[in-house]
Amino acid sequence: MTSTKTLTGRSTVSARIIALATAGAMLLTHGVAMAATQGTLGATSTGSITITASVPNRTQITGLTDINFTNADPSTAATSSQNDCVWSNTATKGYSIKATGSGTSGAFTLASGALTPVPYSVQWSQSSGQTSGTSLTAGTALAGQVSTATTPTCSSGPSTTSSLVVSIGSTDLQNMVAATSYTGTLTLLVTPQ
Amino acid sequence: MSAWASDDCVGRQARGKAIAAQRLFAALRLLGLSAAACLALSPVASQAQAVQISQLTDVGFGALTNLSADITQSQTVCAYSGALSGRYSVTASGSGAGGAFTLSNGAQTLAYEVQWNASANQTSGTNLTAGSALAGQPSSAVLPTCTLGLTPSGSLTIILRAAALSSSYAGNFTGTLSLLLSPN
Repeated sequence: MTSTKTLTGRSTVSARIIALATAGAMLLTHGVAMAATQGTLGATSTGSITITASVPNRTQITGLTDINFTNADPSTAATSSQNDCVWSNTATKGYSIKATGSGTSGAFTLASGALTPVPYSVQWSQSSGQTSGTSLTAGTALAGQVSTATTPTCSSGPSTTSSLVVSIGSTDLQNMVAATSYTGTLTLLVTPQ
Repeated sequence: MSAWASDDCVGRQARGKAIAAQRLFAALRLLGLSAAACLALSPVASQAQAVQISQLTDVGFGALTNLSADITQSQTVCAYSGALSGRYSVTASGSGAGGAFTLSNGAQTLAYEVQWNASANQTSGTNLTAGSALAGQPSSAVLPTCTLGLTPSGSLTIILRAAALSSSYAGNFTGTLSLLLSPN
């Protein structure tokens, strides 16, 4: 199962985020013996069947929203945190997450035409309500994350499970051209573990 | 005309068993069978209040790929009733806790639904509740095991709902479903 969500936004400095969740399609086979039992003729009759099904590993990320840094003050870093929902159906509810930006070779950068791209940082926390987390490296999976979601989109149980934190450093803000729109896309790939 | 008359055969049965016997003889007549067959099958007709469920097959859903849609498997079975009414009740029990309709992967469960239809070749029916009898089901089976090419008489449908699948843990799930037929 692959889930893609694209969100757009526009501002002085903006980041567009795309989230992608995939599942390792571990199509498990089962070795259960098939042995239907037929009933016999009598006052009552009982037969039985065996039912088997194999559910593959699946994961999904939802609840992502666009990030807009509007009129960011260059004297301090600009940070945006949001709560998301990550669901994994493995026995441990484990997953890994990999972020990729829209810059060169997947770099976390915002672009504005021919102007110098502006870098930003990405952090991830497996808990919701966080304003910081583990720094992600573009294109490198952060493994060992565990979800608390009980449904794929957190429609019941916890409504959010994790935190995404995006920041632009003060120095980088100072290098940006005022009143100019910078845009980028951040893609998040979640894989069940 | 056939060498035997159904009335003759019926006369060899107890009066209370006449309906089952007549259904049997009607089938035999269609097949052009003789009096010898009538005699040979007398023990079957003599069990007029007996029931039998057969032609059951295991259900394997295999490796599921789409967890967002209901998945259904139906099969035609033979549900025979020798009751005077020709009817039966069916009671299904799963291998889950308290007879629940659940599959297990050893640690988690996956719920399924069971439907029953008294007609053959159906893909839906009446929802069964685990452990509760669905009564008044008419059987069109003329022989206990629906042999000789005679009419099967019931359909069993197993459903894995998307709601259960999409929130299920991964793994290989298995379970047993038992069906109990009683004359009705």
